[in-house]
Parts: sequence; C-alpha cells; structure tokens
Amino acid sequence: MNSQRHATMVAAASLSLTLTPLAGIFEGLGWAIPVLLMVAVIATAGSLVRSAGRGQGLQTLAMVGALTVLMTMMFNGGTAIALIIPTPDTFSHWLNLVGQGINDIIVMAPPVAPEGGILFMTMMGVGVVAILHDMFVVGLRTPALAGLTLLTMYLVPVSVAPDATAWFWFILPAVAYLWVLADDNLRRVSRFGHRFTGSGQLVGPRFPSPLAATARMAGAVFVTLTLILLAVIPTNTSGLVDQVAQGYGDGEGPGGGDLGSLDPWAQLSGSLNRPDPVDVMRVTTDDPSPRYLRMHVADVLTDSGFHPSPYDELEPLDSLSGGGEVFTAQVENLELVDQVAPVYGRPAAVDLDEDEWGVEPNTDVIASEDSSMEDVDEYTVQYTDPDWDAATLAAADPTPTDSAVFERNTDHPDVPELSGIVEQLMTEAGAVTVHEKTLAVLDYLSPANGFTYSLETTDAGNEEAILDFLDTKEGYCQQYAASMAWMLREADVPARVAIGLTKGSYSEGVWTISSDNFHAWVEVYYEGLGWIDFDPTPSSGVSDSVSFPWATEPSEATDPADQGGAAPGEEPTTTAPTEAPTLPEELATGAQEQPGEQSAAGETGGGASPAWLALLLLLAVPFIPALWRSALRRSRLSPRRLNAQTAWDETRDLAVDYGIELRASFTPRQTAAALAQAVPDAREASEALASAVEHHRYSPRGADAAALPAAVKDLRITLDKNAEPRLRFGAILWPASLAARFAEQRGRASTRLTELRAKAPWPRRSNSGGDEAVTGRP
Amino acid sequence: MAFESSPARPVQQQPPSPLSPQEFKATAEAILTNVEWVIEGKSHTIRLALAVMLAEGHLLLEDVPGVGKTQLAKALARSVDCSVRRIQFTPDLLPSDVTGVSIFDPEKRDFVFKPGAVFGNLILGDEINRASPKTQAALLECMEERQVTIDGNTYKLRSPFMVIATQNPVEMEGTYPLPEAQRDRFTARLAIGYPDVNAELAMLDHRGEFNPLEALKPVCDGETITRMIATARAVHLAPELKRYAVDIVAATRTTAQVRLGASPRATLQLLRCARVLAAMDGRDFALPDDVQQLAVPVLAHRLIPTTETTMGGGDTGSIVADIMRHVPVVSQPGRY
Repeated sequence: MNSQRHATMVAAASLSLTLTPLAGIFEGLGWAIPVLLMVAVIATAGSLVRSAGRGQGLQTLAMVGALTVLMTMMFNGGTAIALIIPTPDTFSHWLNLVGQGINDIIVMAPPVAPEGGILFMTMMGVGVVAILHDMFVVGLRTPALAGLTLLTMYLVPVSVAPDATAWFWFILPAVAYLWVLADDNLRRVSRFGHRFTGSGQLVGPRFPSPLAATARMAGAVFVTLTLILLAVIPTNTSGLVDQVAQGYGDGEGPGGGDLGSLDPWAQLSGSLNRPDPVDVMRVTTDDPSPRYLRMHVADVLTDSGFHPSPYDELEPLDSLSGGGEVFTAQVENLELVDQVAPVYGRPAAVDLDEDEWGVEPNTDVIASEDSSMEDVDEYTVQYTDPDWDAATLAAADPTPTDSAVFERNTDHPDVPELSGIVEQLMTEAGAVTVHEKTLAVLDYLSPANGFTYSLETTDAGNEEAILDFLDTKEGYCQQYAASMAWMLREADVPARVAIGLTKGSYSEGVWTISSDNFHAWVEVYYEGLGWIDFDPTPSSGVSDSVSFPWATEPSEATDPADQGGAAPGEEPTTTAPTEAPTLPEELATGAQEQPGEQSAAGETGGGASPAWLALLLLLAVPFIPALWRSALRRSRLSPRRLNAQTAWDETRDLAVDYGIELRASFTPRQTAAALAQAVPDAREASEALASAVEHHRYSPRGADAAALPAAVKDLRITLDKNAEPRLRFGAILWPASLAARFAEQRGRASTRLTELRAKAPWPRRSNSGGDEAVTGRP
Repeated sequence: MAFESSPARPVQQQPPSPLSPQEFKATAEAILTNVEWVIEGKSHTIRLALAVMLAEGHLLLEDVPGVGKTQLAKALARSVDCSVRRIQFTPDLLPSDVTGVSIFDPEKRDFVFKPGAVFGNLILGDEINRASPKTQAALLECMEERQVTIDGNTYKLRSPFMVIATQNPVEMEGTYPLPEAQRDRFTARLAIGYPDVNAELAMLDHRGEFNPLEALKPVCDGETITRMIATARAVHLAPELKRYAVDIVAATRTTAQVRLGASPRATLQLLRCARVLAAMDGRDFALPDDVQQLAVPVLAHRLIPTTETTMGGGDTGSIVADIMRHVPVVSQPGRY
C-alpha cells in the first residue's frame, strides 16, 4: 500500500470511528451500512484522483461528485435520470427530505429509525465531513485541522441526543484523532528511511520508535484525564436542539431524562412553537363535547417550578373507578412519544397493557415506567367527565389542613412578595371559600386585569419567574396555569397543574389533535367533589379551547362577583389557532421565565451550585501555580522551617522565576554573582543570602537566619521592579521554578522507571538491544 | 645561591601553634604582594602556587620558556626566608646529584654525607623531563617520602619542603616525559601564560632599571610557614564539600573522554589545597568555590585523555572545566 492510499485509509477509518456516537440516536445498526458506504465511496473517489496525480481541486470535485451520485442513488424519489443523475426535481425532493428531517429531529426522541429525512441529513452531513476530513488529512496534510471535522462529527449526535450518547463515546473519536496525528507524523518522519529517536539511535521504519511509548503514554493519559473531567464536571446534559428549539434543559424533570420520553413542559412549549403543526393523535368518542385530554399532572412545586412527581410507584390499571355517565373514547396514536397516556376527565378503564401501564395514585395519571406511547398504536378509554354547577362548588367546604391532599397540594416555596399579592387579592375580593378564592385568582389573571396571551415572555428581572409574569402580564398557558396554581396554594387551596391536549378539531366523527393542541391548565381540589378543572388562559390563546361550564372563560368575564354560576352549560367553543412565533430563541427566553423549566442560563444563575463550584474551580485553575508558589514561599520562610538553606532555595527559585539562568553547578557565590549581574540592585540581598547559606552548609558554626526573610523580600521586590512586565506576570502566574521542579521530578521518575524496567524479568521489545533490532547507520 | 651542607634537622616535637585566620590572611597577602612585585599580572597563578606550597604539595609549571617560571619560583622562595636549590635537569644528571652522596673524607677516615640538591626548602627543578627516568625517580621519591636514604642512613628533608618543577611542552626532542605515576605526585600543574599588554609594559619599566628579584626582601620565615601549614590543616571541611570533591573526581573517572581518571590522592590534595585557599581568604571553612578554583590545576595533569579527544584538539584542562560545569554543588536532588 503506498503512502497516499494508506493515509486515505487512515482518514476514512478515523472518521468511521468518530461516527460511533450515531449508534445512540438510531435504532439498530441499519444506519451504519449506508453511512460507512458513503465514507468508503468518498475515500475511494479521492484516492483514485490523487493517484492519478491530480490536484486538490479535482480531488475535492471528484469527492463531491461521488457524494452526489450516491445520494441520488439512495434518495431520488423517482426523479433521477438513470438512477444516478440528479435532476432539479431531485434537489427539491432533497429539500423536502431536509424539512422532514428537521421536523423529525424536533418531534422524535432518539433512538429513531434510520430512514427518511433523518437518514438523508445524516448521510449528507457525513459526506460533507468526509470530504473535508480527507482534504485535511491527505490532500492538504494538515491533520491538526482534521480535529475540527472529527469534532463536528462527534458533536452532532452528542448534541442532538445527549442522553443517548453516553460519555464514553468520547473515547473512540479521541483515539481516532490521535491516530490521524500520529500516522501523519510517522509518515513525515519515515520519509527519511530511518527515524531518529533522541537517544542517538536510528530505527528502521518497520520498528517501533522508543519514543512511541512516551507518546502512547501521553495519549492515554490525556484521554483518561478528559474522561475523568467529563465524568466529574456537572454539566447541563441537555442537547443543543432541545435548548435552541425548545428552550429547555432536562436537568431534573422527572420523566424527562429517560430514553424515549419527553419533559412535559418542554413538549408543551416545543409543540406550541412548531412552525408546522403535525397531528399527534385521532380520537373518536361518544362524548358530544369532549374536554381536555389530560397527560401529566405537575403537583410538585419547588423553586424551579411545577413538576410531575416521578411515575415510579404505579398502581394497576384496574384500580381506576369511575362514576356517573361513562363515555368511551377510541384513541389512535400518530406521533405521540411519551410515557403517559392522554385520557379525558376521570378515566374509569383503559385497555392498555396491564404489565406496562399503571395509575399514579395521587394524580390518576395513566403512566408507564418502562414503556412509552411509541409502542401504543391504539387504545380505548372509558371515562366520566361530570359537569358541576357553581352552587355545588360554592358550597364546598375548605379542605382539612391535616389531610394528605392538602399537604401535598398546597406546598410551595416561600416568596414573600407573592404572598403579599395573594393576601391583598383575597382581602379585596373578600374570598373565603375555595370557590371564591379560585374565582378571585381567575379574575386576577383575566385580560380585564391587563393579562395578555403571548408566546413571548420577557424577563422583568425578578428572582422568581412567577413574579415576572405577574409584572409583565404576558405569557402563555404555562405561565397562566402555573401562576394560578401557585397563587391558589398561597391562599391555602390545594391546586396543581395539568398538562395535556385540548380537544382538537372535529371532522366526520373524528377529533384530530395536533401538536398545537398541547395545553396546560389547573386542577383545584374541592372537598367532597375531587379535582375540578379550571383554565386561566384566555381562550384566544388556546387552540380548540374549552370553556368549563362552572367557570366562565376569563376573557369573557366582566364581573367576578357573579361569574361563579353565571354560565352553566356553556358549550365548548372552538377558537382560532395560536399565533406561532418563528424565532426559537425567543422561546428559549420565554421558557426561562417559567417555573418548571430551566435553561443553561437558568442553571448557572440559580439553583445549581455544583455548576458554580465547577466554574469557580475552572477559573481557579490558571492560578494554581501562583498559589502553589506563594504557599511554597510562605512555608520556606515560616519561622518553624526557616534556615539559610530554605531561604536559599527560595532565592534560587526567585532567580529562576525572573528568568535568570542558574546552573546546578553554581556555588552560592556564583549564584549571587549571576543575580547581581542580571539585576545590579539585587547585589546586596543576594550576597547576604549566599553568605548565609555558605555558613549554613560549610561552616562548623552555621548561620543566623533571622534577617533572611527580609533579604528574600528585598530581593523579590528588586527583581520584580527590574523585570519586564511580561516576565513579571509570568513569574507570578506561571513560575518557571515550579515548571523546573516538575521537569526534574519527572526526570527522576523516568530514571527510576528505567531502572525498574532494567530489573524486570521479562524481555522488553526494544531497539536498543537484541539481535533483531535494526540500529546504527542505514 | 649557596649550596648548604647542613644535615636534616631533628624532628620537631612541639606541634607548631596555629595562626588566627586574620594573621594567616595578612601573612599570605604579604607574600603574594611581594611575589607580585616580581611577576606582574599573575596574581591568580601566584596565589595557587602559594596555596600548593602551604598545602605541602609540589608544583609542576608547564609553560613555554621565558614567561617567568623560574622567576616565580625564586620570588616565592625569597619572600620566605628559606633556602632555595636549583637543579638543572639534563640527561646525564645522576640520582646522587639530587639526593647527595657519601664521600670518603681522608682526614676523618670516614665516609661523610654530602647532601644533594633536595636538602633545601624550595627545590627548583628546571626542565625535569630532560632527566633520565632514574634521576626523575630519585627526585620524585623524595617528594613523596620527604626523606632520603643513602647507605642505610635516613636523612629527613627540611620543612617546609616544596619542589617546583618546570617543563617545556614544546620541546619534545630528547625528553623523557614524566610517567603518569610521577605526574600524580605533583599536587598541581600550573601554566603561567603570557602577561597581558599592560603587565608587559610595566615589566619593561621595572626591569629596565634593576632586577626586582635582587631587591626582594623576605616577609616571613620558615617557622611562620610551618605554622601556616598547621593552620591550614585545621580548616573545616563540611561533609557536603567533601561529597562535592568526590563527585568531581569520580566524574573524571566516568567521563567518556578520558582513559584514566584522577586518583584518590588527587581528591586528598584537592581538598588540602582548598583548605589553604580558604585560610588565605581569612576563613576557617572551605567552600566549593575554593574547590572549583583548584580543580583544573589539581586534576588536569593526572588525566590521560582518549586518543579521540587528543586528536579532536581537546585537552584535559577543558575536560575538567566541562565537568565542573555539570557536577551539581549539592548532590541531594532538588537542592542547590
């Protein structure tokens, strides 16, 4: 194999190694064949043109051509001529595929099937990277730049699916990069036939260089260190796509961290902001006016907002009990990927797999620990959805404060400012009963009070996102629902947030529910009646919203006093779809406001103290040498340890720090002379120190060290004053004496190692001895 | 110069009382100033020569003719009130000319010992490499033993006793080079070297009128020298310094450029001279600086370079200087 082909092979193989993290985002290994084929085809094309002696331009052209042909063969959609020649239609087909791929990336959670848009985008990306990689490694002989292509290749799967790509996937790309570097260097050096090894020997090209062991050791150590660093440093493990498109980091959301499931809040905001909504499910039901489909219930309120409690203690599905008029709904799942099943009202029975699915006892959420909706194509749910009249609700007693429901659902972080607002609101409204309080909050959040629906929220600078919302009065269902539930909790009313889907659009007996129908609302606990739904969000902002008969939709309410029973039996109304903002960044900002979510900025700014600590540690790293050096100085000059020798050690190190060259063979006098020659002002101090150490070492009487710290200080100030600024900072931040010390210790360690190896009973593979070694002149 | 015929003195029973460091320094300075009056601009060489003398060593001056080898020896001898003998070595010089001979005295009807040239305090052996090996051996034996045995009688040599031998490096014809075993007996080998321009000008001025050597007055006597030698012996040698000296000498044995390194005797003499230099500096402890000044003069003439080194133009002096640049002053790692 000639050198060019060998290098091409190394480039292709190293790139293939870097592709391994893709295993995390695709199902099975079906993706590997086309992707590796792409790498191989491009490498072959490049290599052939190269061996024909053509320049880099033609090589690149050939590789681009190979890429196009292969892509046309695989993704022509019937538009190509003779299967391999793309037509304009082919390119528009590709554009469609790209759009489809982007949608898939946003909606689907890994692992995904290797097909369609995602596979197209992957192959296209791999192809482009392969061309660049080949160019850097073989064509331009700049293998260091190949690090960029490898990094790109590594980052894409890792940022798309951080959870699916575990940290150890880093090893192969790192090794691949080292391989590329080493191979190129070897090629460069081997051109001369024999390699020089530093110890005066020449080694034949087929024998390992004695230096290679050091290089291998260094490579292994650095890869290991990086891995340890990766494992130790707390990171925001959410992917780029999540952060940018959904403004969400899944640091702690229960149910968010597992494969194949989504954080409800992230799913909500992500779905509402899709540029082109997709249908997620179709429902047929005998309920004439279905209301909301409930998926998650966020009943745990912490500093970071409402979260669902973890779905890990599920009860069997047959523990469900309905009452009253039972409706039956047939649900056909299209795109839903979640570990909860959407159900209407109060489910009485669900025909999901008993082994996989269960009921969360506190919230009645139909959830699964291991399975997800992905595996469910269809299910039937029987449910009741009772209507309440305002009078019944108004008559409900307050929940006993010692009941489990009360404790669980009124727990909230202490935000004095919010307590003030709620107290004032309740006093003004004269609200005493649960229903009065609920209506007061609903009224407070109504457009009449200045609240407007907006998918863009702004940061008003408050510590708590809820206060931002109450200040700016702009937000969407997340903010509305969370604020209402939180305010009710402040007013000692058990309340929680439900996340799910609105009823969707009706046509020919089928309710079609799209990604725009994701919604959040509030459940309030009425003693004796159970959990009653309320929706504080203005109906104008909710796609296919429903007005609950027992509480008029706030945007329509004018008088809070008679709102309670004013509009019983009002039919659900269908409203316009939400306006969809286009800029994902705005979403990222918006989501950050909301309790229950966190973004990268939110994490560093707020609760995550480990991250701060890590940052601090990271910032402290450059100062470690300086701190070490000054600790060393203090220890040497401390009265307990001080003698002429320690003061002299410090003197020598100071000289080295300030760039004065000293030899180990210098006597104290010669050292002092060297110092005085470099910095004439330092003569006095350095001579005093030298004389002290002379007496200490060589005189039978020893030396008096009392005045030495002053002399050392004097010397340091003098050296500092006379040094150039660059040297001065270097002496403080990165003292050369420390580096010299390390080098010396390393030298000693390697000497010891050599000695140990010499003693070792097993033979060493080496060029320095043995009959097989090729040494000496070529 | 009188050829004195006094027999060896009886051995001194009383150990000489040492001088204080200040006295030592002052005396040494006086001798140096005196000698420097004759040999201009060579204070370092003179200092080393005096150090060798006070270390009870012998000096080999190897230099071209006319640079003042003999002047140096004479000036040193005159500054000290002691006897100087000069032996001009020639191929026909006999051992008895050096050590002395028993002659039959008809009046006394007995053999009378006529002491040879070695019975002086300071022996100046000119062109020592011109004498036959057996004559060289006779002198060199005296140097080491400090006594002469003739016809069964042992005669102790004077104290202080010092041989200053000179040899010309360029004149190779008709010479018997000193074997290494005999070179090893010389404590130090010094080259005087040409004076610099100013020193040479000053010399012309002085020598134009009179010979300064004639006007030289002794500044101390043999007694004082003995006391100085005793003083120098008491100078403290720290363990670290001994280690340093051993490291240096050991390095001459391991370096690849040398066929034969320095002997343990070299280590001994190196430190003995270092003591004197320390005392001349007014110290009662020796420093590595003292050792460093002495390493080349004391060690270089003992080494035998490899043929490659010789052909490469290297000399043993530069080998030792190179070793000095690499041997750490403190052998403990991490310390300086």
